[in-house]
Amino acid sequence: MLGLVVALVVNALLLAALGANPVTAYSTILSAALGSVAGLAQTLNRTTPLLLGASAVAFAMRAGYVNLGIDGQIYAGAILATGVAFLLDGWPAVVLLPVVLLAGLVGGGLLASIPAWLRATRGINELFVTVMLNFVALFLAEYLATGPWTDPVAGEAITVPISAAADLPRLLPGGGHAGILLALPVAVGLSLWLARTRSGFEFRAAGSNPLAAGFGGVRLVRIGVVALVVAGALGGLAGAIEVTGVHSRLLTGLTPNFGYMAVLIAVLARRSPVATIPVAFAFAVLIVGADSLQRSVGLPPSAVLLFQAVVVVSILAFETARGRRLVARLVQATRRSPGRRRAGGVA
Amino acid sequence: MAEPARAGDVAVEMAGIAKSFGDVHALDDVTFRVAPGEVHGLLGENGAGKTTLMNVLTGLYLADRGDVALHGQHVDLRTPSDAVGHGVGMVHQHFELVQAFSALENILLGAVTATWSMDTASHRERIADLADHYGFTVDLDTRVADMEVGDQQKVEILRILYAGADILVLDEPTTHLTPAEVDHLFASVRELAAEGLAVVLIAHKLHEVFAVCDRVTVLRHGRLAGSLDVAAAAHADVVAMMMGDDATMVEARAKTCDIGEDEVLSLRGVTATGGAVDVHLHDLDLQVHRGEFVGIAGVAGNGQRELMELLAGLRPITTGRMHASGVDVTHARVDERIRAGVAVLPGDRMREGVLPASPLYETYALGRHLLHDHFSPHDLQDQARDMIARFDVRTSGPTAPTASLSGGNIQKVLVARALDVSEHAGGGAMVVMNPTSGLDVGAAAFVHDQLVRTCEAGGGVLLISEDLDELLALCDRVVVLSHGRLAGQQVAGDYDRLVLGDLMVAAHG
Ligand SMILES: Nc1ncnc2c1ncn2[C@@H]1O[C@H](COP(=O)(O)OP(=O)(O)OP(=O)(O)O)[C@@H](O)[C@H]1O
Ligand SMILES: [Mg+2]
Repeated sequence: MLGLVVALVVNALLLAALGANPVTAYSTILSAALGSVAGLAQTLNRTTPLLLGASAVAFAMRAGYVNLGIDGQIYAGAILATGVAFLLDGWPAVVLLPVVLLAGLVGGGLLASIPAWLRATRGINELFVTVMLNFVALFLAEYLATGPWTDPVAGEAITVPISAAADLPRLLPGGGHAGILLALPVAVGLSLWLARTRSGFEFRAAGSNPLAAGFGGVRLVRIGVVALVVAGALGGLAGAIEVTGVHSRLLTGLTPNFGYMAVLIAVLARRSPVATIPVAFAFAVLIVGADSLQRSVGLPPSAVLLFQAVVVVSILAFETARGRRLVARLVQATRRSPGRRRAGGVA
Repeated sequence: MAEPARAGDVAVEMAGIAKSFGDVHALDDVTFRVAPGEVHGLLGENGAGKTTLMNVLTGLYLADRGDVALHGQHVDLRTPSDAVGHGVGMVHQHFELVQAFSALENILLGAVTATWSMDTASHRERIADLADHYGFTVDLDTRVADMEVGDQQKVEILRILYAGADILVLDEPTTHLTPAEVDHLFASVRELAAEGLAVVLIAHKLHEVFAVCDRVTVLRHGRLAGSLDVAAAAHADVVAMMMGDDATMVEARAKTCDIGEDEVLSLRGVTATGGAVDVHLHDLDLQVHRGEFVGIAGVAGNGQRELMELLAGLRPITTGRMHASGVDVTHARVDERIRAGVAVLPGDRMREGVLPASPLYETYALGRHLLHDHFSPHDLQDQARDMIARFDVRTSGPTAPTASLSGGNIQKVLVARALDVSEHAGGGAMVVMNPTSGLDVGAAAFVHDQLVRTCEAGGGVLLISEDLDELLALCDRVVVLSHGRLAGQQVAGDYDRLVLGDLMVAAHG
């Protein structure tokens, strides 16, 4: 909370320094993102991939795994979804759409099964593998969008459109698609699963103390595979939703770093999938609103990134201070940070 | 390094200290004084508030009320670094070294203010001198992760001394040490005191306290029960102070059941040579029968840990067979063995037993969560509440974070958990490793009593312990583990410490 206030104040100062009136700017953000049905539609469209990605990341983090590969999984899901849509061209929407979304899940899950497999069999850290695969998936999408599937008239890296039968139904005028209706239950469901089920308990135990969990009969390798593959599948679903809901085709630039934002959102939401809902929504408001700032107040696009960075840094800074006190209170065995240890004088 | 002791000088003076955690009054109006050059024992039951009092002294907790003065000066200790600045250092019950760093790096981390460059060579020389002087010889270049616990402790103490401490707090330092290491440590502690340092020693074993301390202070339920000069006190005085008049000493009962025919646990020709471990296990033949209490004796590092892991299902069996109550579990996973009634209480309770940040009921549920078809967090909480009442666990309730419990109370929870697993199988095998380390006399007797009950209820117990007294007092049979092999056994009635001792140290061959 305090972090948010600090972020707003710092951003206000920044806006003033850039020659804009902070009050006007903030109200522009809010009215652009929430003040009209079209704005709200845009905001919800942005929320969807952020929410799916962040709840997936949070979910894997609870088991102790960090998935930095949401971006790659979005592309993988989008590629398979687009491919299946091309293949099944002419099928009726009731069948086609679910199959295409399923293809998204499978695509993301398949890509994530690589780090999962390497981790399970070789103990290779998933951090590196997921990051590297982001590039692989991006370049594969670029190849397809400029090569076999390319739209010859477009002149950029985009494919020909998929069948209209595969388009997500509209929820709101102004392009608001129904993806949010898939993302919300996913976030809620993941949290419920973690809190209420036996496997969810094992998941959290593995993330909290793997050694003790191992003695308690928790199958750690299996949990690692599930954590990474499920998170990847949800990333893939986000990709399929972008394709069927927003663009109707595959293109590069499908994800403007949704994956990294998803990690930030997951951390800010303290690794609780359900808590990523408000955070992802707030991020979407900021993104959509700041886009319009560019136009109305005439700020450079980089200012938007700057604002996001300020929000993240201030919230994290206050979270860690909190965290440190919490840990000190909780853990009888002290965990003094190296910084504090250095404070002593030499004998 | 320490200032010479002046007559009448007081190194530590804590007055009227109070500290509560929620509804738990961990400390209430406690007064505590230590003179320079004194080794001061701090005693009390598990959860009496010993660690909390020292955490106030080391700036980790802020007292709700009370004053702290060091060397006659009032001080305000708000953070651990304040305390370090005033020369107070503490070796915690659970160590806190950076595992990936070498001993030298760990020591420098504690003592040296960060600058761009560092003259490691001169530090190394001074640290080596310090280590020689007090008999804390360790290889400064070994990674802490590769060190025995006894050596890690030396590194901890060196780190504190090198940071310039003249008040040294040791929280249950002997828990993980062999008797020889304990003697060694105490000699060093006396040396430190002789040079004017004030040493506070938290301990549970009275004979240790009487061996090394000048004075003792006893806490009971967070209140001061009294202070005594050791020279003028008898064991019984101190015990009376610790237990108060509300408790009568619980004695471990003699077992009243006969040993049955059925085996609850059996190893036949078991060898485990996989993985990068210190000790491989060879040709183990070991049976625990219904109602039988079997002990594994040995010097630490002779395969105890490996044996425990093997029985739990975390270390693959290369050849041979293992059965649990007649079921072949040679290649069974941990969860399958738990369902077969193999209940393991690991030796390192903080690392291998608990979910520190999770609520207590979840730590209690771990492993037990496999036993019932229906899984409900609500039921788990009720079961934990019930366990807290039956085992008299001192805590604010089932949702308290596990790490907020004192060491002894955590152990009670883990024992209760293992008992439940074994009972669920209608009398399975309990495998317990050093179950009473760090427990007060009453709590230790309680744990022993529970193990005896397990036998009487038709289960069998395998007790892996470094404490020969414990083994001889409880077991029907003691088997010696040496270099990963079973070197021989003795049966109750014929125990001969010398023979067992020989078996324990005999060279392998
Ligand atoms: N951070 C904390 N949060 C909540 N309760 C705590 C916390 N630290 C200690 N307590 C409670 O305060 C009481 C005293 O605990 P403390 O750890 O000081 O006991 P102790 O004498 O060191 O016991 P042991 O011999 O078992 O280590 C216990 O009831 C414990 O549960
Ligand atoms: Mg303690």
